[in-house]
Amino acid sequence: MKRLVLILALLGLGLVCMQQRSYADKKIAHADYAKMAIKDCNDCHKGEGVAPNHDSDFVRNHRVLASNAGNNCSQCHSQAFCLDCHQGGGTGDDLNQSNARRDYEPKSHRSGWLQIHPIKAQDNQQNCYRCHDETYCAACHVKLPQSSLKSLGGFVSHRPNTTGPAWGTAHGSEARKNLQACQTCHEDGSVCKNCHSTKSAAGGGVNPHPSGFKGGNYNSRSNGKVCLQCHLPGTF
Amino acid sequence: MTCKRIFCLLAGVTVVLASTVAWSAEIHGTSSTQYVWFNDIFTGNKQAEFGEYLNLSITKVDTEGKLTFQGYGRVTEDVRNGYGDQGRLYYLYGDYSNLYDKVDLRLGRQFVNYAAGTALIDGGKIDLKNVGPVSFSVMGGRNVIFGLGGETSQTRSFAFGTAAYLAGFKNTDAEISYFMKFDNDGLARDQIGGTFKQYYDAFKVYANTRFDLPSDTFTELLTGVKYFPMSNLVLTLEWYQSYPVFDSTSIFSIFAVDRYQETLIRGDYTINDQISVNAGYKREFFGEGNDGSDVIEIGCRIQPIQKLLVNLNFDRNNGYGGNLSGGGADVVYTPIKPLEVAAGFQYDVYAFDRTTGDETARRYWLGGKYRLTKNTSASVRIEDNDNAQYKSDWKGRVVFNYDF
Repeated sequence: MKRLVLILALLGLGLVCMQQRSYADKKIAHADYAKMAIKDCNDCHKGEGVAPNHDSDFVRNHRVLASNAGNNCSQCHSQAFCLDCHQGGGTGDDLNQSNARRDYEPKSHRSGWLQIHPIKAQDNQQNCYRCHDETYCAACHVKLPQSSLKSLGGFVSHRPNTTGPAWGTAHGSEARKNLQACQTCHEDGSVCKNCHSTKSAAGGGVNPHPSGFKGGNYNSRSNGKVCLQCHLPGTF
Repeated sequence: MTCKRIFCLLAGVTVVLASTVAWSAEIHGTSSTQYVWFNDIFTGNKQAEFGEYLNLSITKVDTEGKLTFQGYGRVTEDVRNGYGDQGRLYYLYGDYSNLYDKVDLRLGRQFVNYAAGTALIDGGKIDLKNVGPVSFSVMGGRNVIFGLGGETSQTRSFAFGTAAYLAGFKNTDAEISYFMKFDNDGLARDQIGGTFKQYYDAFKVYANTRFDLPSDTFTELLTGVKYFPMSNLVLTLEWYQSYPVFDSTSIFSIFAVDRYQETLIRGDYTINDQISVNAGYKREFFGEGNDGSDVIEIGCRIQPIQKLLVNLNFDRNNGYGGNLSGGGADVVYTPIKPLEVAAGFQYDVYAFDRTTGDETARRYWLGGKYRLTKNTSASVRIEDNDNAQYKSDWKGRVVFNYDF
């Protein structure tokens, strides 16, 4: 934390110095080119040495362009361009675009998405959160027969013959790799608390925290509510 | 319910303003009337709904053109199972730009995207610019969250953020920002973000990161370089890592988690106006052990004649979490200018693990769009899915769009 404050202080100092100078080399406004075909953008960008941003890698890579308060996306796109994918809207102009119930489905959600998504959800876990709140998964899963889900076969810890110490090792390893999958079905973490809570009637108290865990940060931010789920008042 | 009221207000304002000839403001937008049908995954029943989308832009409200209004929302009504109506207001805001040539103000429901965090808020955003090479932005408001149906925001869902970004450099973009999110139990997210891009003659170097303050961890870190030996060839090399993070008010935030990493190499080549190709390989690393996954992607875009466009793609994901291989093709044909016909299919084979064996999922779709007049068009799209859950899962939509 001290390092962070130091870095921010240096950045602030640099900022004050920079603001004293004037810079005339500003970016060109793109609004006039909004309706131009993408392939024609190279006519300028090639000569100016500015990389064309809208190549066939755009869907995967656009986060780097867009996650910047100073981005110039709005010079050509309305917010509907973002939200049709991220929040499921659309005026139906793109015949390629499929529907997921009443919402339009982004192309990253391929055929049989309901069946396939457990595999994709094992990838970079930040991907799901770019569009969905963490309660989104549970909203579906609480309505489904969880014990018979085929995808459970992918978890060693959930196979019938994984018991005892083998279960302990397997579930720990799998939970560390994809804790979001645990949360999907065990939304309030009550299953975890059976063993990890110091208040557990079954004994419990198996420490689930990472090394160097900064418990005070969570205590202060949740007004102690997170800590009190597993610890008695005054014991943490 | 509030969404629907606001949507109706949006529609009402449009009608009133459009009929006020004395007012010089320009009102443009799209009205999209839709009929969609699909299988309800929870009940298995066929569901059908009418929907109305309205995308609205009001400009030239004042003589200097500084004030604009933007809105976008929908209402849907189930006509088969009696589930009633639902609404979703995506955004509705007023924008006042160039106040004293230094300040942009935006008030209302809007989508805000900083490197540190993203949110749909009912609130405001203020940008301070033209004060030097660094500009500033601050935003805050009620955090709007959409669930499967309507809004699922908690009563105390709020989001706030601030950013400082470079604005005076042609070939350099950089931003550092702070984002916080509250829920009913306290401060759920508290993070710093940064993004950086530098353009050289034939290179672009970029980085993007988020730092989670409660866990004192870089939850996301991306670095990459794009190389452009020719204007039609893009080579990409990237490294990315992330730690899963949860709201600080959730019990899951206190568990130990593993780092996820991926390394990617990719090429995108536009051979000529008729053919472009892309290929990429990604190695994913899960945790500190040997668990990993290999991901290959190949794609091709062919336009042999002006009226015909063919897209082909294939990808294979083999390793931790299961195996998934699949490909697809889609064709767009424009026989005459107002008519567009399109069709496609997707075929996937996947296995969660060796014991479950392979399963397949297939999707076939067909659609057509016809521009009736300069500002009206109609389209139809039907799709069938054949997978482990459904032998045949028909769904589709009929759309009538009016641009004004």
